[in-house]
Amino acid sequence: MIPLIGLIAGVAVGLWFHPDVPLWLQPYLPIAIVAALDAMFGGLRAKLDGIFDDKVFVVSFLSNTVIAALIVFLGDQLGVGSQLSTGVVVVLGIRIFSNVAAIRRRVFKA
Amino acid sequence: MTGVDKDDNDGWRRPDATMSLLADLFDGKLLDPGYAEAAARGEPARRSPVGMVVALALAGLLVVVAAQQVRRTEPAAVRQKNRLITEIHKRTAETDGLQKRLNTLRTDTEKQRAVALARSAEGRRINADAAAEADAAAARAARGSALVVTLDDSKGGSGEGRVFDQDLQIVVNGLWAAGATAIGVNGQRLTATTAIRTAGQAILVDYRPLTPPYAVTALGDPGRLARAFGAGQAGTRLRELRAAYGIRSSIRQKGSAELPAAGAVQLRYAREETPK
Repeated sequence: MIPLIGLIAGVAVGLWFHPDVPLWLQPYLPIAIVAALDAMFGGLRAKLDGIFDDKVFVVSFLSNTVIAALIVFLGDQLGVGSQLSTGVVVVLGIRIFSNVAAIRRRVFKA
Repeated sequence: MTGVDKDDNDGWRRPDATMSLLADLFDGKLLDPGYAEAAARGEPARRSPVGMVVALALAGLLVVVAAQQVRRTEPAAVRQKNRLITEIHKRTAETDGLQKRLNTLRTDTEKQRAVALARSAEGRRINADAAAEADAAAARAARGSALVVTLDDSKGGSGEGRVFDQDLQIVVNGLWAAGATAIGVNGQRLTATTAIRTAGQAILVDYRPLTPPYAVTALGDPGRLARAFGAGQAGTRLRELRAAYGIRSSIRQKGSAELPAAGAVQLRYAREETPK
């Protein structure tokens, strides 16, 4: 319940304040979101498996987003930014799909 | 999720342990192993939820900000594009209007100059000189009987079967040599300094792209022009082009043709006389 409040609070802050994203950060925002989604579904699956640990969640969330953005940044510097972001999206997408599939199996028993 | 770390616990590591993405995918164990490790350590979940709330708030914030970003930049780009298009249309209309005004003013000036000069004998002489020079410089429209040489790409129209700028140059020079008094290509009047060049696939005359067929209209006595042109180097070249590359050409006499004045004539060496 409390985590849900956090999520809602974050959305509310975003809607309320319309924060401006600095230009240099804009290319990395979408990839950071995919990484954050991955961490969130991972956490949800762990919760359903009964082995959720909030420290692991927070650390994986932060490191996921930062590392995903860093990889794309590095790619941009090397001239392969779009290819690397595709790679990151593919890897994280596979993880998100498999985690969501596990959640689905647990929730619907199917 | 059973046995995530079994391999490690057995003291045996698979050789591809650091790049086992696909193997893990097929084993269905793509969950962050951190959770299983923490569970195995048996640490109680006793921490305050502050960290998690902050992390989740951050996630929500990220999603909303990104969504807003996308929605904000898209209309901005469209708006900017539309504004540019409107600007282009406006400027083009402006230029057209100015060009039209320039043309009327120029005709007006010439008429008034002619009228003013016609008052004296010397003026009439200057007037005639000016008219002859205007004709030579293609500064005013010309009309008369004409010879029309038409060039077109070969039927296939590929590679060597295309009309090149060189071919057009030779035809134009041949017509000058045959005694043409004024020449236009597809309605584009040529001056002594007009360039005929290729740019990419198109032939540019006076920096304006033309499309085939290229009709070269030369004013002058059609019969004499045709004879001199056909006997000269250009006529030979046309026959060679047709034989070798299938480039189509035709020569036609025309009783009356009109060529417009060339685009703005610029004074390069003439200077206004300044009283000392």
